[in-house]
Amino acid sequence: MNDNSALLPGLLVLGGAGTGIWILRQSWAQRSRKPRWPVFAGWLLILFSLVWPAWILGAARGPFIALALVSTVALVIVSSGYTLRQARRSTGRASLAPEPSTRTTTRWRETLRWLLAGPIGMIAAMAVGIAYAALVPGEPQTRLVMGGLLVPVAWGGAMAWTLSDDRILRATAVLVGVAVVGFAAAMLKGF
Amino acid sequence: MTGTRAPKKKRDLMSRIPAGFVRAVLRGHGSLGLAFAALIYIICLTGSIAVFAQEFQRWESAAAPQVTSVRPEAVQRAFEGAISRAGPGLEHIYITMPSAKLPRLLLYVDAEADRELLADADGVIAQENEFAWTEFITRLHINLHLPVTWGVFLVGLIGVALLSSLISGILAHPRIFRDAFHLRIGGSRRLQEADLHNRLGVWALPFHILIALTGALLGLTTIIVGVLGMAMFNGDTNRVYSMFVPQPPTEDPRPAPPLDLESMFADVPTEDGRIEYVFTEHPTEMGGAALFNVRRPNRLAGVDGYAFRRDGALYNRIDSSENNLGEDILNSIGVLHFGWFGGGLIKIVYFVLGLGLTYLAASGVHIWLARRRDKGNPAPGWERLWSATVWGQPAAIAAAGVAALVTAQPTPAIWTWMGTSMLFWLLAARLPAPVVSRSGRIATGILMMLTAFIHLGFRGGAGTSDPVSWIVDLSLIIGAIAIVLPLPRPAGAPSAGFPRPLVES
Repeated sequence: MNDNSALLPGLLVLGGAGTGIWILRQSWAQRSRKPRWPVFAGWLLILFSLVWPAWILGAARGPFIALALVSTVALVIVSSGYTLRQARRSTGRASLAPEPSTRTTTRWRETLRWLLAGPIGMIAAMAVGIAYAALVPGEPQTRLVMGGLLVPVAWGGAMAWTLSDDRILRATAVLVGVAVVGFAAAMLKGF
Repeated sequence: MTGTRAPKKKRDLMSRIPAGFVRAVLRGHGSLGLAFAALIYIICLTGSIAVFAQEFQRWESAAAPQVTSVRPEAVQRAFEGAISRAGPGLEHIYITMPSAKLPRLLLYVDAEADRELLADADGVIAQENEFAWTEFITRLHINLHLPVTWGVFLVGLIGVALLSSLISGILAHPRIFRDAFHLRIGGSRRLQEADLHNRLGVWALPFHILIALTGALLGLTTIIVGVLGMAMFNGDTNRVYSMFVPQPPTEDPRPAPPLDLESMFADVPTEDGRIEYVFTEHPTEMGGAALFNVRRPNRLAGVDGYAFRRDGALYNRIDSSENNLGEDILNSIGVLHFGWFGGGLIKIVYFVLGLGLTYLAASGVHIWLARRRDKGNPAPGWERLWSATVWGQPAAIAAAGVAALVTAQPTPAIWTWMGTSMLFWLLAARLPAPVVSRSGRIATGILMMLTAFIHLGFRGGAGTSDPVSWIVDLSLIIGAIAIVLPLPRPAGAPSAGFPRPLVES
């Protein structure tokens, strides 16, 4: 026995979500953005397109199939509405887009910053994941897997933060503190 | 207090993020992106291609017998045939049962010398097959052909870096809703690249998060379990694994005849599912065992397990419908990461979105290079090097495809990939970026075309009745033409690739 084919439901998802995204584009293109109901209708259609395949293609399989298709149709609609501008040489004027901040730094601060983003962030993230697995109630497998999923999320968050924050000692204190508290709590409680 | 107060304009949530915060996050986003851009690019590119691993296996075994279904006695015959060819040191035989996705009866022999064997519908071993290209591309994605432990960890780290870039990318994008549909082609190169980068990043964000998170977890599992074992189980990581994987029976190395799989087949219920894999452990020892995986339809994690001892006694049974949330998530991660859950449609969508993610990595560097040019501080060396990476890698991978087909061995493919990559980076030292890019495009196209013709001429492609093999060859030829020919561009739009001074129109 094989999986239900995703082809026909997929086309319906593309149609439904595509309509929702097109409605969003039309209503956001208006300066006043009024009335508001088309925006809600657009989001509702997208949400509905994500949910209904659960009944046809499987409770988890259906929404994940829909998720991939919604992104695809969104990109098709965005690319279909491109505006063409004349090529021009840079005028040297400051760009209106936000520029990355410039900060004065030293070699040791940059080294510490990358240590925080790398190994120290990883240890702190491990502490968060393992503390979750140890402290949160539930089935052992669920606690372990959710704890495992927390590790890359926490590490990624720590990376984003430490590479952005100018107050590097604050980041150091927080990450070291999280690591110590997390591991200590997990080891005291046990699995 | 007199005077009229202007009505306050309502701003969306993201627009309220302070400008200083956005600039700081943008700096972190840029630093991280630049540090890992090349690795993210290679892993995303190879991951997009590896989505079609099963199709490549069919393509590489085009001359093998197509098998749509087999009887248990045929599997037993093929199993015994594989044992007789295994040689010394036989540990395992993994049997992939034929299916619509892979209509082959495939046996992987894990012995001193590993082999992959294909049998016909009667269980007669028809040929020994090296899936050299599939092995090359999947291993490049999974561990970059480094020693497995380090390579898998490095790829997991790249997954974390990608996840971090997605977090900082969203935080650094206060006009996320206001600009959701803006795509400006032409004009300033930096603006064009930024629009493409941001629209791709925002609208495909759920896919990007899914890929980065599952990839990071797959890569980091060993180290997470190791640390968990040290912190919680006195270093015994087996206690963690045993919560998910059935333990094999006690080892008994005394020699024995091959396992009797035929009788075990009769004890595996397949009313609403089908047997997908049979894993055999120590098949010629008294302590031998066999695990049958039965896939239930329409479920991401719908694999039941039936484990038998040599005497045919069922010693472990896993019913996927009784799995808890953690087991379901764990068993879904692989199929969700590789896009193997929705048939051909989702594989194509994963390929397209994967290429989008690959472009995201490339365009991040393009924006940085364009910003430097705009500020009068160009970095021609980095432009050349990045061009050699962006177009050198597709060329190197295509060259590896040729080597894999010609030699039918993954090792020459790896060396060819490394050699071609080095060649492009060396070219970048001498040639301007546009020339490096153009050379890479042309080389990629020619090598893809060559791959298709070698396959058609010498690897059974022209004589096969497997439609997927023909589709792969046709896709290679069409892809090659599309890469070599310049894309039709709207008038006024600059060409894709590396930043360079724009010509006044």
